[in-house]
Amino acid sequence: MSDATATLTPPAREAGVPKLSVDALTVERTLASGERIVAARDVSFDIAAGEFVCLLGPSGCGKTSILNVLAGLDRPSAGRALLDGSPIVGPGPDRAVLFQDPALFPWLSVRANVELALELIGVDGQDRRERARAALASVGLDDLLDAQPHELSAGMRQRAALARALACEPSVVLGDEPFGVLDAQTRELLQNEVQRAWMGSGGRTTFLFITHNVREAVLLADRVLVMSARPGRLLEEFRIHAPRPRDLDDVLVGRVVSEIHALMLRELERPDA
Amino acid sequence: MPAARHEPGRRSIPGMSDTTEPAEPALEEIELTDEERVVLARVAEVLRRINFGTVVLVVQDGKVVQIEMAEKFRLR
Repeated sequence: MSDATATLTPPAREAGVPKLSVDALTVERTLASGERIVAARDVSFDIAAGEFVCLLGPSGCGKTSILNVLAGLDRPSAGRALLDGSPIVGPGPDRAVLFQDPALFPWLSVRANVELALELIGVDGQDRRERARAALASVGLDDLLDAQPHELSAGMRQRAALARALACEPSVVLGDEPFGVLDAQTRELLQNEVQRAWMGSGGRTTFLFITHNVREAVLLADRVLVMSARPGRLLEEFRIHAPRPRDLDDVLVGRVVSEIHALMLRELERPDA
Repeated sequence: MPAARHEPGRRSIPGMSDTTEPAEPALEEIELTDEERVVLARVAEVLRRINFGTVVLVVQDGKVVQIEMAEKFRLR
């Protein structure tokens, strides 16, 4: 037997401070009518450095609200969000965010989009050029460096956004349904790119992805946190110890996917839901 | 070309009695190779760790090449 049990060891959890920490977080939103709704209530979890965690839940359960607080784009109504033990007060270059929309500047080439991100964090000219090229090559866009975003397919644009995020070598990558609008085939390709990027980071980069796609969560994550319907609370956690790259046909992946589907269905059918 | 002949296996069909099958040996009578001991020890190690979850053994060419598992925790 090869070193089989090595695959069972989760990434080293340092005894000290977690990379990201959400402590009794409650996020409220105000609707246009002035009504206040609770998006997420009393949610707590820690993410160790180098972990890949997916937060899964039905629409409107507050997943995006939690991610926005961690990205520094929103403030919690109660509770705390911490990065390396310090409260998060705003966005920072240590946290890259991937949105559903790739958010590339339409007047800049793909290469210039990545270079601009590097320029903003103070990377010098030649180094900037080289890092942008390498990042785009790692997602298979090295032959489209000078293309404009509108000349690319949706999948290619999202790849460029992924390259831009990774080029800056952030310690945390936050993804808010980054593959949500892509077709199934492109989605699978990008899931593989992300698996490769995570493996290539050698435990230096922490990933938190929000999704309502169960298969995607189980394919990518070390841990899947499943939330209830609004107001979102954490229901169950699944720790998946299987080597990467994983495949959607893997027995363990299929088994956990069906278990989470059943859990979410039970949750939706609860009489008080 | 001769037609391929289906060779039935020696497994008994659930629900049917099969008197030709030998009785299952008692646990202590099973002789294990060193390799089987290693695999079973690792499976036991995994089973001791988890309360709820799934354990999958991946077998290639008659050998266990990987043990995968998923643990489940209730948070509510």
